[in-house]
Amino acid sequence: MQRYQYPKNRELFERAVKVIPAGIPGHLGPASGCFIPVSAYPFFCEKAEGTYFWDVDGNRFIDYMCAYGPNILGYNHPDVDAAARAQMEKANCTTVPAPLMIELAELLVDTVDSADWAMFAKNGGDVTNLAMLTARAATGRKKIVKFVGGYHGVLPWMLDVGYPGVLYEDIENIITIPFNNVEIFKQVLAEHHGDIAGVISTPYDHQAMNENHLPADGFWSEVRQLCSTNEIVLILDDVRCGFRLDLRGSDYHYGFRADLICFCKALANGYSISALCGDESLRPAISSVFATGSYWLSAVPIAAAIRCIEIMREIDAPQIMKHIGDKFADGLINIADEHGFELRVTGERAMPILTLGDDESNFLLQEWVAEMVMRGIFLANHHNIFMNYAVSDEDLEQTFAAAHDAFETVRKNHPEMYR
Amino acid sequence: MYETVKASINLHAVLRNMEDLCQLDDASAEAVGDRYVSIRFSVPEIDRLVLTFRNQSCQAGRGDELPYNMNLRFSSPEHLNLMVEGVKNPIPTKGFRHIGFLKDTFTFLAGRLESYLKPDHEKAATDSEYLKRSTILTAYAALYAVPEIARYDETGRKLASKIEDGIINVTVGDDFGLHLIAEKGRLRTMKGRSANARTAMMFDTFETAFGLLNGKLDSYTCIGLGLLAIRGRVSMIDNFNKLLGMVPHYLS
Repeated sequence: MQRYQYPKNRELFERAVKVIPAGIPGHLGPASGCFIPVSAYPFFCEKAEGTYFWDVDGNRFIDYMCAYGPNILGYNHPDVDAAARAQMEKANCTTVPAPLMIELAELLVDTVDSADWAMFAKNGGDVTNLAMLTARAATGRKKIVKFVGGYHGVLPWMLDVGYPGVLYEDIENIITIPFNNVEIFKQVLAEHHGDIAGVISTPYDHQAMNENHLPADGFWSEVRQLCSTNEIVLILDDVRCGFRLDLRGSDYHYGFRADLICFCKALANGYSISALCGDESLRPAISSVFATGSYWLSAVPIAAAIRCIEIMREIDAPQIMKHIGDKFADGLINIADEHGFELRVTGERAMPILTLGDDESNFLLQEWVAEMVMRGIFLANHHNIFMNYAVSDEDLEQTFAAAHDAFETVRKNHPEMYR
Repeated sequence: MYETVKASINLHAVLRNMEDLCQLDDASAEAVGDRYVSIRFSVPEIDRLVLTFRNQSCQAGRGDELPYNMNLRFSSPEHLNLMVEGVKNPIPTKGFRHIGFLKDTFTFLAGRLESYLKPDHEKAATDSEYLKRSTILTAYAALYAVPEIARYDETGRKLASKIEDGIINVTVGDDFGLHLIAEKGRLRTMKGRSANARTAMMFDTFETAFGLLNGKLDSYTCIGLGLLAIRGRVSMIDNFNKLLGMVPHYLS
């Protein structure tokens, strides 16, 4: 199987670093994106369609990262793009918003189980921050509980000391506890009685660089009850999982009801919009919070979101994601086993993380993922991947063929590790 | 606490470097000559350092039990830091006959060390041996500083606690390497590369390492350009790199 080369990608990167710090900053870049080794990865996209993107060297990739989640229906989905184009011809960023905003809020309230209202912004971090402010405004308290490994964005309170620029003062009201451990949560409640405004969490532990863990039986119902008893706002950060597990919200999926729920990524199939939905009781609090942005109410992403949600409802997107994810995971697990590797697929099948057994260092995983990428299958060695509606059986077969080849190569490179 | 962290770095990362200076720099080795002077640095709150000079070399040791024939006492961590900056003098309490060595040879060695740790960039551009020696000594200073930050600095302790147990290799091409052993939130720096590392940070050349250690290049750009490679447990490297990023706060 032919392995890709990236001469134009490299040429462009050398140009980029002259004018952009780090060349490609953030999670799409080679450093934060864990391109290991960097020579195996493309840097720049020329075009995208369905589940594919083509890099600037003309290499085609079946993309299981889906832009880290936004691509849920397939890149350049014709209906979503048509809705966006139609709105663009009318208006986008204007002094007063388009009435379409109301339509999207109504659609979200109708779709998301815990939503009595909806507010809009641009990125996931906008709405997780808005949720934190709302919890404090509603309770008059200052402390926020979050869980180890939970990613909620890049504002200082969401990070930790040691990140350049983050101060102790930024996180002094943030309490971080292990996921799935109700006893520790109870201890924290006792220690900080009357001082906790909110609990923020992803629906399950889908932290990067480690196996993912689903909620233990009874975890969410206990947390929900404890939050209610102690008048703490329960915030679900559904930015990454939202609409991939359940269109009614991942809280519904796991059998509880959040007070606030944050969406972004899959909400508009790649158009820049996020949403915070919530319980009626929090309407006065969020109304009092000063939160706004130049592009938060732009109409084009709103139009895209409406069409995206309509399509996801029509096709029952979460069921399809799970179905594709099951085929993907089962196929790869079997292929790995044929080659003497234990491929572990943890988290939800619609967005699982891949790890290898007997690989404490991640060396093997990094090598295998690099071999896959060079064969046109874009995966990540550090982060959960994502399924999308456009993945066909033929794409899965190509993925499996590449996996055979990639495992064979890694096996040859490491005879000492072959069991 | 800042002065304590800085003093522990000055002792166990910067002055410790005398050992490597005498190996790498002929003028320093010659200056030591055949004299035998073993200097103990006694600073409150910080493990003692003993530098033993003999046979054109220096050996650095840490702890209370090591033999010495000259003792330098400092009233506080700040006192040591001011000595390193050339503002204050130490208080000799034993080995007065070696004061001459302290005033002449040790001062000369300190100057040589400074010339490598605060390098002349024009010279480095044309003198590859100078660049190499400067890079090695700066790397030792920085990487021996990391365990001190992990031990004494509040943020450093928090970062170190997130580093999983295991070994982190830091190498430059095939020529140079050292490694850090992480164990239950404590770090130790060891010379040479390890065959059992869980993660690795690999500079392609001394030029790249020199640029990064002196703040002329950034690691993110270098990774993208393939000048710096990482491999293995990225979370270990990530937290280690944050610790490394704190070094200039104390050694600027």
